[in-house]
Amino acid sequence: MDQDNRVLTRRGARELSEQEVESVTGAFKTRRTLTPCFVDSKQQFLNGDQAIGECGP
Amino acid sequence: MKLIVLAPEDDNHTAPIKWAMEKAGQKVVCWAGLSWTDEGQSSLLMNGDDTLTLGGHSVDAGDVIWIRRPEPPVPNPKVSEADKKFASLEYRCFYHSIAYFFETLPVWCINRYSAARVMIQKAVQMQLARKCGLKTPATLMSNNPAMVREFFARENARTICKGFTPHVWQKEGKMSVAITETFELTSDQLPNDEVLTYAPAIYQERVPKEYDIRMVLMGNHIYSYALKNKKQALDWRQDAGLGHVTAELVPTPPDVEKGVLEFARQSGLCFGSLDFGVDAQGKWWFLEINEQGQFLWIDQFNREARLLEKFCAFVTAPQGSTLPLEARQDLFPSLEEYEELLKKEQVPPVGRPRQEDPFLSMEA
Repeated sequence: MDQDNRVLTRRGARELSEQEVESVTGAFKTRRTLTPCFVDSKQQFLNGDQAIGECGP
Repeated sequence: MKLIVLAPEDDNHTAPIKWAMEKAGQKVVCWAGLSWTDEGQSSLLMNGDDTLTLGGHSVDAGDVIWIRRPEPPVPNPKVSEADKKFASLEYRCFYHSIAYFFETLPVWCINRYSAARVMIQKAVQMQLARKCGLKTPATLMSNNPAMVREFFARENARTICKGFTPHVWQKEGKMSVAITETFELTSDQLPNDEVLTYAPAIYQERVPKEYDIRMVLMGNHIYSYALKNKKQALDWRQDAGLGHVTAELVPTPPDVEKGVLEFARQSGLCFGSLDFGVDAQGKWWFLEINEQGQFLWIDQFNREARLLEKFCAFVTAPQGSTLPLEARQDLFPSLEEYEELLKKEQVPPVGRPRQEDPFLSMEA
């Protein structure tokens, strides 16, 4: 990753390994479908406390 | 009375709540939002009596409208390229008309769109929380490098950085991701000035918190859960996903309860998920509110919470009711029961692919 022109927030972002993503998304099917922030790697979306759609653009 | 949910039926909170309400004999309809399709069409007729239809559903006096997660308006893709921009704006304006018009009807909105639009702004939240007597950390929202550096130069203060919105970066062709998270930063770690202009950010005094609180507001009712994270991470969200967090019901201090109810009164919000940090002296620091934040996950972490049942009791009670939700929560089935059915595939799966996610970026 070229760090020179990345936003500060990306630099502080938490990296989740493939294994962590797998363990989390695997667990969604049974227990963690509702956690306050999760990435569904198969469906490729972020589900969390905020949604652009909740109040419109 | 019926509950009208503005969200796709398979939204992860809508689906179990619709199921629970229907099992208890309540009527629930979903409208995913304004679109060109039959089910997405809407009409607002003002001719003597005002009538509003959402898809095939009329909005009637006494209805409860839960503006949960409507999808952005979708114009007909067949419209001429030359008209796309216009059509898109027309759809957006019409959606706003509908959402604001709810407030003129004899219905109960959870939450009123006008209140939600204002209170989703983090600056407004912080200011109002402070005005209502809640303790808030010093905060700078800025894209001005000089101001950022000055903020970091405060004496004996630790500072965190966070974004206004969540975001995920996924590497091309890989499963690994990076997710926005609150992180601590020192003045020595600040990047060069230009980077600070790439995106505005929220810089905030680090609350010396011992643990976090997730509070759920339902009208006059407040439920607070202490979130304890074995790793004592600054941001508990990802750890919750990984199952490293516990959620324990705790009493809300009277001064905090008073402040939150005043916040709700002044903001016009009757529902929301609030985050607090609790320091070693037991003081609660307001961090933020998400007016449609996730709350059912607490039922997964603490089966005694029964927030699904409480929410159903809340939306079926008269607006402004002060009767305890616990008195009616037994009328509704639990999330645990729903999850059992989900496992056996006896209810439809939740979640569905989205064409485009505003919170996801690909990176090399």
